[in-house]
Amino acid sequence: MAHEIYFDDIQVGTEMPPLVKGPMQKLQHVIYAGASGDFNPLHTDDDFAKAVGMPSGAISHGMLVMGFVGQAITGWIPKKHLKRFGVRFAGMTRQGNTITITGRVTDKRSAGGENLITCEVTAADETGDVKITGSFEAALPLKG
Amino acid sequence: MADHSKVGKEYARVSWEVERGKIRELARAIGDPNPIYLDREAAIREGYQDTPAPPTFLTVPIFWSASLPPVIMDLGINFMMVLHGEEEYQYYREIYPGDVITASPRIASIEEKTSKSGRKMDMVTVELLYTNQRGEKVARERAVLVERK
Repeated sequence: MAHEIYFDDIQVGTEMPPLVKGPMQKLQHVIYAGASGDFNPLHTDDDFAKAVGMPSGAISHGMLVMGFVGQAITGWIPKKHLKRFGVRFAGMTRQGNTITITGRVTDKRSAGGENLITCEVTAADETGDVKITGSFEAALPLKG
Repeated sequence: MADHSKVGKEYARVSWEVERGKIRELARAIGDPNPIYLDREAAIREGYQDTPAPPTFLTVPIFWSASLPPVIMDLGINFMMVLHGEEEYQYYREIYPGDVITASPRIASIEEKTSKSGRKMDMVTVELLYTNQRGEKVARERAVLVERK
């Protein structure tokens, strides 16, 4: 549950609480395939994945890892304040990877009656290999 | 190789009724324990009308309505060589159970790029503007698909 966060309490440099997910298992890919409707065998069939050039077998859905980042964000900032969320998929997530999501506020400003923060987010595995880079914007309430 | 003449083309509307169980299923698949996605009463206590759709929920109507394969076929790209390069959402209002959300995929751009390893790829940008059953804008999505050649 995300408790209320006020614009006044956020500064440039404030860090989002980190979130650790995994280790990744093919079972989670299967569950995510059913939930999302993305049944590309690249995510659930090791033989297929190897045949299309993924030597370690089935890789995670990028949107599953983006979902982890969404979990980290809306576990910190209430969902209703989220205005924009964008990512670039920088690397493939493999079975066994443990994914850590981190974030850092890079801007805060008041514009058009809204009090906005921009926060950069990253998802990386246990070796530091980056899977996702991105950012989000949220409009936060003021105290009082 | 992606058919560059398709830039600007708009495809058939995707229309999708949002179910509470699907919102809960997606949150559970991600492993997100946030009660606002799982429990209507908890969501109401947090100031929502019902369990809101999680930030990446719009991937569900795209895939379950099978709207992507015809677009990919029309673009002439090899589905098995497609990777997801980028994804961005702008949120205008919450999506709740019972909402019927509608959008038309549009090809915003197609660009050829060369990867660090010297491999050529086509970057296809698809945009969707989602509205609900009241005609209100709920979200905008921009997805970049990468076709490895």
